[in-house]
Amino acid sequence: MSEETANSYWKSLEECTADSEFLETASREFTEPIAVDPHGPSRRDFLALTGFALAGLTVAGCTPAPERQALPFVTQPEEIVPGRSLHYASTCQECSAGCGMLVKCRDGRPIKLEGNPEHAMSRGGLCAVGQASVLGLYDRLRVQRPLKDGRESTWREVDDDIRTQLDEIRRHGGAVRVLSGTILSPTLRDQIRRFLSRFADARHVVHDPLSASAILTAHERTHGIRLLPHYRLERAEVVVGFDADFLGTWISPVEFARAYQEGRSLDGNPPRCSWHAQFEGRLSVTGAKADERLRVLPGEMGILSHLASRLARRAGVSWDAPGLEDASIPGSVLDRVADRLWQARGRGLVLCGSQDVDQQLVCNFVNHLLGNYGATIDLEKPSLQKQGNDAEVERLVQELKDGRVAALLVLDSNPVYTLPGVQELTAALQRVPLLIDCSERFDETAAVAKYVCPRPHALASWNDAEPIRGLFSLAQPTFAPLGHERTILESLATWSGGGRSARQLIQEFWQANIFPQQTRENQFQRFWDQAVHDGVIETSIHEELPRSFAMDQIRPVIRSERPAEASFALALYPKVGLLDGRHAYNPWLQELPDPITKVAWDNYVCLSPTAANRLGIREGDVVRVEVGGASVELPAYLQPGQHDQLLAIPLGYGSKLSERFGNIGPNWLEARLTLNENGQVGINAAPLLILAGNSLQYQRLSARLTRTGRSHPLASTQTHQSISVPAHLAPAGEARRPMIQETTVAGLARGHRPEHPEPQADLWPNDHPVTGHRWGMVIDLNACNGCSACVVGCQVENNVPVVGKDEVRRQREMHWLRIDRYYSEEGRTSGDVDVAFQPMLCQHCGNAPCETVCPVLATVHSSEGLNQQVYNRCVGTRYCANNCPYKVRRFNWFAYSRDDALQNLVLNPDVTVRSRGVMEKCSFCIQRIQEAKLESRRLGLPLADGAVQTACQQSCPARAIHFGDLNDPNTEVSRLVRDGRRYQVLAELNAQPAVNYLKLVRNRPEGEVRGHG
Amino acid sequence: MVEVCSPLREPLVKGNKTLAQITLDVCRPLERRPTNLWWSAFLVSSTMLLLGIVAVTYQIMTGIGVWGLNRTVGWAFDITNFVFWVGIGHAGTLISAILFLFRQKWRTAVNRSAEAMTLFAVICAGLFPVIHMGRPWLAFWMLPYPNDRGSLWVNFRSPLIWDFFAISTYFLISLIFWYIGLIPDLATVRDRAPPGKRKSLFGFFSLGWNGSCRTWHRYELVYLLLAGLATPLVVSVHSIVSTDFATAILPGWHATIFPPYFVAGAIFSGMSMVLCLMIIARKVMHLEDYITILHIDAMCKMVLATSCLVALAYGIEFFTAMYSGNPYEYFVFMNRALGPLAWGYWIMVGCNVVVPQLLWFKKIRTNVLAVFALSLLVNIGMWFERFIIIVTSLYRDFLPSSWSSYTPTLVELATLVGSFGLFFTCFLLFCRFLPMIAIAEIKGVNRYARQPKGGHE
Repeated sequence: MSEETANSYWKSLEECTADSEFLETASREFTEPIAVDPHGPSRRDFLALTGFALAGLTVAGCTPAPERQALPFVTQPEEIVPGRSLHYASTCQECSAGCGMLVKCRDGRPIKLEGNPEHAMSRGGLCAVGQASVLGLYDRLRVQRPLKDGRESTWREVDDDIRTQLDEIRRHGGAVRVLSGTILSPTLRDQIRRFLSRFADARHVVHDPLSASAILTAHERTHGIRLLPHYRLERAEVVVGFDADFLGTWISPVEFARAYQEGRSLDGNPPRCSWHAQFEGRLSVTGAKADERLRVLPGEMGILSHLASRLARRAGVSWDAPGLEDASIPGSVLDRVADRLWQARGRGLVLCGSQDVDQQLVCNFVNHLLGNYGATIDLEKPSLQKQGNDAEVERLVQELKDGRVAALLVLDSNPVYTLPGVQELTAALQRVPLLIDCSERFDETAAVAKYVCPRPHALASWNDAEPIRGLFSLAQPTFAPLGHERTILESLATWSGGGRSARQLIQEFWQANIFPQQTRENQFQRFWDQAVHDGVIETSIHEELPRSFAMDQIRPVIRSERPAEASFALALYPKVGLLDGRHAYNPWLQELPDPITKVAWDNYVCLSPTAANRLGIREGDVVRVEVGGASVELPAYLQPGQHDQLLAIPLGYGSKLSERFGNIGPNWLEARLTLNENGQVGINAAPLLILAGNSLQYQRLSARLTRTGRSHPLASTQTHQSISVPAHLAPAGEARRPMIQETTVAGLARGHRPEHPEPQADLWPNDHPVTGHRWGMVIDLNACNGCSACVVGCQVENNVPVVGKDEVRRQREMHWLRIDRYYSEEGRTSGDVDVAFQPMLCQHCGNAPCETVCPVLATVHSSEGLNQQVYNRCVGTRYCANNCPYKVRRFNWFAYSRDDALQNLVLNPDVTVRSRGVMEKCSFCIQRIQEAKLESRRLGLPLADGAVQTACQQSCPARAIHFGDLNDPNTEVSRLVRDGRRYQVLAELNAQPAVNYLKLVRNRPEGEVRGHG
Repeated sequence: MVEVCSPLREPLVKGNKTLAQITLDVCRPLERRPTNLWWSAFLVSSTMLLLGIVAVTYQIMTGIGVWGLNRTVGWAFDITNFVFWVGIGHAGTLISAILFLFRQKWRTAVNRSAEAMTLFAVICAGLFPVIHMGRPWLAFWMLPYPNDRGSLWVNFRSPLIWDFFAISTYFLISLIFWYIGLIPDLATVRDRAPPGKRKSLFGFFSLGWNGSCRTWHRYELVYLLLAGLATPLVVSVHSIVSTDFATAILPGWHATIFPPYFVAGAIFSGMSMVLCLMIIARKVMHLEDYITILHIDAMCKMVLATSCLVALAYGIEFFTAMYSGNPYEYFVFMNRALGPLAWGYWIMVGCNVVVPQLLWFKKIRTNVLAVFALSLLVNIGMWFERFIIIVTSLYRDFLPSSWSSYTPTLVELATLVGSFGLFFTCFLLFCRFLPMIAIAEIKGVNRYARQPKGGHE
């Protein structure tokens, strides 16, 4: 190799000659000097300032810091696996019952609420309202920021204002009142007490829109302590209800439904079955289940005194009831009821839903005579589910009207809507110098409040509850609040001076008060973690034993107030779906047909068909009901089984919250609006209530009914109400259809439940044997009380759309699971009816009529006996629906709106959202079957019985629905299928449905029940 | 010329026409400007068609919910109209094929237009199964075509698939049959047309017809074979349409009597529709000499016969319902006759059973106006028959909880009107552009019931 040479190359002559001037120029970056203002900011300064501002703004934009437990997943936590759901224990806060629930979360958002099986009170049940409440979380019309005078404001401004004014009031000794509904949270009660303790004149007034105040007052008088007893229906062998709709809406229906069902479990021989008599005027869900239902007017509840005098005679207690008027019920019936109760002393229960204290006193007396206290009525661990005190509410209203209240805090209550006398109350509230409303939505009271301090949805905040003394449950947030809401706990703490988070407040309270009451854990953190995990703990806290029964308080109710011949008594009642109206924002609940009337999206005046005939009123005719000075105009609904002199109107309608439904439902040529002329759904009947005599009365003794000449068709999902077809159209003696089959307890005992014989051989070869799992369902008609929790559960689980009033009216509701309600007049005296509920869903027939007729094979049978609908293959001929004898298939007549992106977060990602023009129906929750199968495969274990729970089954408060593998003889469904009560609907068609029903059992003498299979 | 008639038979063509006159009479409407009457009729029917197009477009854009159907009544106007139009479409092939094979010479005056009517009615009928789908744009899924979805085929057990094949076969065979029959007449029109577009168009469609003996021979053989092929279709189409109902398990549908019952009903309604149209056409087109009272009388007899068949079927249905001991079946029929939609049932019975009994009288059968009114009533009655079968079986079935009712919406009414618009628009265009009487065939019966005369006429 030659030696390397380093030649130097030059680029120009100047460089070659090494011109010094050139060299100097070349060494500089810029040939010309840059003009820099030595006094102004430099370029570097500018960049530095921009960067600082950007960083500062970013930091500023990140406030407020989210709740610790509700952090979005920046880094993936270990337990979160996309596509797998997590369940968190929590507490339902949608009514004052406080049931335990599990929140099912997928990918960080709650999509389904279910009953918590470990909750000692609700035991796995969750009602329709509770299940529907998850939709409220994704409601864009919630109040998301504090409002001041109706305008959006900031917490700082609102807090400063409120604190200043409160300080002012404290200095002047002004009256401070807190108005709330029943507060189950012990921490919040404590916080309110602390808040109020700073003021000289301060009171906490509890107003229950669905009040049971008379029961509390009566116990105050008879037992010396103001409490609501804990009724133990499961221990009762004889239940006598007086206008107490305990399976529907009264106090704690989920708990009661389960307990009632336990008392009628039909186990053993003779079968265990309580005897239930119900005295009521309107037909309630509870009355529908009663073995003996007696129609009495609200004013006639003096019947209870008749019963008391009969029982007192038997007990040898002298109890004079001079001047007791003759009862409208035959004495023999009363004797029978009295005998039953007397024979079941200590094992009976008399429940009274009246708001009349005297009647409640007599009711206490009856229970006392029978020795039910301490047996079926628990006073040691009483219920806290109704704490309302109507006398206090009345006093507060008077104070407000007199202008004596300086500050009123309304916590999660809507008095302008739920109390009578809207105008005066609104005017009185407007005069309150400091009116603060803490609620979720902009309701009637928020509209008059100076400050609206929104609280987050129950699923987005910490809370606790104590529904029964000593039974504590926790609610944990599963979602970050979408707006700038603040819990009531935090708001009160802020205004009291100590701004801490709700979790801290609850934890502190639990550490101080609840932790010492239990012995299971000795370390608070472990106790707390366990409580959060389980959602519920039981402690030994109980009330002091009340003093002995005060006999001197009992006065017989001797008056029997019947309205004049041409006029009516009036009962205002809550409906299963809407209760006191705070859920009127929820389209699922608005579209849920009432269990009894089957009407959705409207309220109405129920009157008996006899009364309607007499007045020439047809269903849907608008009538005016006048009581005292107030009146409402509502369509009439003809309610069989109702007392002929009673009008009944559901509460909870005509609320500001329902104004949002202007655009609900498909929009087309002949579509009609869901809203009424008043721009709301239904009409508020609260103005007909009366708050007087220390109680909020739901019953009026004299109402006038007049026709208006207009009509308003109701949206009813069932147009034929009877189990019988019109007699002149049926073969003689065969008018009754056999869908509902009944038997009696005696019949069951005598018939010792024959095992079903094996089905007879078929002419056709079984060319598609189902060898693996064969899914099937058993529905116990004896347990079902029509509460409709399953209907909503199914709707939430399966993304069933809401269609609006007009579409329901056109019989195009989309519910996959419906509850058929049938009346039967057979064997009843005139005007009385028997009621039966029948959940009806796709029967997953073995020989499915729908499958053969589909031209494109869009509905086919699975290897596990499921009838499957293939949405994307369906062309929508509707032939399958025509050929379905159960009419359970639902067609997408339109593209139902899915425009609300926020609301769409509630959709179950496991279930397809159907497009227009395709058929859909119950799938037996196939997504849950798949999930359970995959899980069992992952664990390498066989699929256990009960591992698959359908959505309808899971939350059924009465445990009426059972699901499992029919091919395995050891599963619960297989056992139930062998029960003598089992039958199939339309078995004669040989469609071989996979859904079996268990006969309804009435505790009546044999021969009084029809429809033996 | 002296008209010499048979003492026993009436001539089929009146007016003692020469062959040239026949050609002239039939071709005249094609070769002059349309009359005002034609224009006004066309305007009305095309407006109706337009209304139907708007309605169907709206329905397809918005969803099937713009119809009055509900979760219980899944079919109503749509399938009623479908079966109605298929039924109308029955007379054409019956007249041209079956009557041809039975050598019923009077058919020559009406077969062409009856066949045309068949085609248009089947077009109308075929629309409904497509637009009644929730997703009509996927209607081609009814075709068993090779595909990449794991080779997903149609459900051969579904009567809707049988329907699809039956209707399309019927339409194709009817179309071919009609077209083959048209060829000699197309050639006649071609020969009469002055040179130009018209001549070349007719020349194209007359397939080089030259009138030679061999052509005639082949033509007649093909026509005979097609008649034989079309004959079973007359029975099969409506039998298969009836299986849409008969194979279902719904009381009121699930009946073995349905195939013959539907065929009888179809001929009944088809004949009435032919009567209706012919009575108008002979008046408007001045064809009284060709479509004579004799024709009307003959068709009236067929209407009467099929009316009695249909009445028998109604009776048997009721008897079966009563005799079966099936309470659901019993209820459906009692509910038809006495339930909320009883008015529809009694319209059906009145129009289909009672009114046609008037046709026992020759005076009525030969009274053109009376026959016209009667045939209109029969058509109304037959539409109601399908409505009653479909809706009253559906709206109150097994579970009383699911009972509902049905009221048509404006969109449905507009769709029904539109289907009539389509039918009449097509028919008017046919009258305008094609010889509506089979010239070649009618010439063959011109001498019927006349003494043969030697030489050329």
